[in-house]
Amino acid sequence: MSLRHHAARMAVASHRPSPIAWLIAPAVLLFVLFFVLPFAVMAVMSVYSGNPVNNPNAYLTTRHYERFIFDTAGIFHDALWATLRIGLVTTVISLLIGYPLAHWMARMHSRLGHALALTAVIAPLLTGIVVRTFAWMTILQDKGVINTTLISWGVIHKPLPLMYNEFGTVVALVHIYVPFMVLTLIGVIGRIDERLEQAARSLGAGRLRAFVEVTLPLSLPGILAGSLLVFALSISAYVTPSLMGGTDVLTLPMLIAQQVGTSFNPNFAGALGVVLLLVCLVIVIAYNRILARLSGEQGLA
Amino acid sequence: MSAAANKKPFDAGRAAYLALNIVLLAFLLVPIAIIIVFALNPTPFISFPPVGVSLRWFEKFFASSDFMNALWLSLWVAACVLVLSVLIGGACALALARGNLPGRTFLTAFFMSPLMLPAILTGLALFQSYLLAGIGRPVWGLIMAHTLIAVPYVLRTTLAVLHNFDHRIEEAAAALGASPVRVFFEITLPLIRPGVFAGGVFAFIVSFDQFPVSLFLVVPKSETLPVVLYNYMKFDLDGAIAAASMVSILLALSVVLAMERLIGLKAYVKL
Repeated sequence: MSLRHHAARMAVASHRPSPIAWLIAPAVLLFVLFFVLPFAVMAVMSVYSGNPVNNPNAYLTTRHYERFIFDTAGIFHDALWATLRIGLVTTVISLLIGYPLAHWMARMHSRLGHALALTAVIAPLLTGIVVRTFAWMTILQDKGVINTTLISWGVIHKPLPLMYNEFGTVVALVHIYVPFMVLTLIGVIGRIDERLEQAARSLGAGRLRAFVEVTLPLSLPGILAGSLLVFALSISAYVTPSLMGGTDVLTLPMLIAQQVGTSFNPNFAGALGVVLLLVCLVIVIAYNRILARLSGEQGLA
Repeated sequence: MSAAANKKPFDAGRAAYLALNIVLLAFLLVPIAIIIVFALNPTPFISFPPVGVSLRWFEKFFASSDFMNALWLSLWVAACVLVLSVLIGGACALALARGNLPGRTFLTAFFMSPLMLPAILTGLALFQSYLLAGIGRPVWGLIMAHTLIAVPYVLRTTLAVLHNFDHRIEEAAAALGASPVRVFFEITLPLIRPGVFAGGVFAFIVSFDQFPVSLFLVVPKSETLPVVLYNYMKFDLDGAIAAASMVSILLALSVVLAMERLIGLKAYVKL
């Protein structure tokens, strides 16, 4: 129905922009001044020795990138690797948790059940990152909910190290980013015709085989898009690793904050920022490609 | 179909599937519920199980001038961001959906990109720009930064509504002699209002809960609530944070209910 409308509209539409197009101007102004230009400034800062505006002695240099690449301090490569590792583990676990939820919700026939489950998924999304990280700190710390409960039951005698390490970081990150995975997957799984799976089953395939051979391959674009989104979000997380990771975890965003806050080296922070940006840009481009293909199939832009 | 499923006798696989999903939903919701427990638990440090119910942490939160100043700053910034992002994002959505612009797919992706790029980098880039421009870290700079992050949300909800409604309603009004201005105010605007409004509500929450973008853009003594909470949490983990969190959560919850009333949550899932 909407596909036909769209096609009809495309056919009659002229190629000249209409006066309504001018409404884009404020957004363009905002994005040029506060998005494109600042990122350009960040790139410029990363190749200067100091502030190029008010410091006449500032000169062009690649030393910030050299500092990162040669890594004589031995922390930057570890931080990059830790960032990617935490991102990858968070993504995989989010997928394992998010897929069953999304599949369940997409196939749910009860409207009320769907609305309730959706509220449960969106509610954490609308709770700030700082608040959700606080919640996990109260659960995972030495005197937190899990440790005190296990000790009072006599299961353990001293607290398990659940926090101030990568484990705690990943648990909290997964909780924060699973809703993004679920929301991406619901749409994709919901568009897969349920009758395909039923046909496979009536032809003798078991429930598992019908899922693995029909539904799973068809939902692959959603899996990719959701995974890229969660990966991009979790490698740029700052609050959660810095509060949950303690001294055990050092990620790229934490390094950047250190350079700005304690070392006051905005130029090196810029170089680290460009490194993180490049990693993210690759992911964003892949994500947009997949989404474009997805919506292309639906005849929607 | 569902009736046929219900007629079947007990199905262990289906029951396990249901149980698994309920556990997963609990994983999402329990941490938030636990905040309520600690907000009401009167012990001086976070401890479990709770020993009673008191409002002392709420009193501490509302009596602290640091928290209150931060709360008011956050509310003020979020209100400005709401207005700005609704105007800018709503106009941008109209231009993208109705303006016949070349390269629409690219433009849409471009205006959505602040959501995909690390927010901490947006904060860093703006921090460096304000540094080079020598303007310090003014509140309006923070508001513009939040607006940049909020516009994609308004854009997304408004575009969803614009795609869903029948373009021929506008064409019919125009064919019946309505001027383009009248078509806009009497047809288009009322129809897209739920989407714009829902986007604005999102924008408010995104700004109110914003941390990574704010981190480098606030000055000491004039910090937003999430930044104050974060700094407090690094040293103290007591019920005041839980009480502050509760205030934020209640705000978010009322937003979800308002949204459900306005256009129904289902509209978001189609995105």
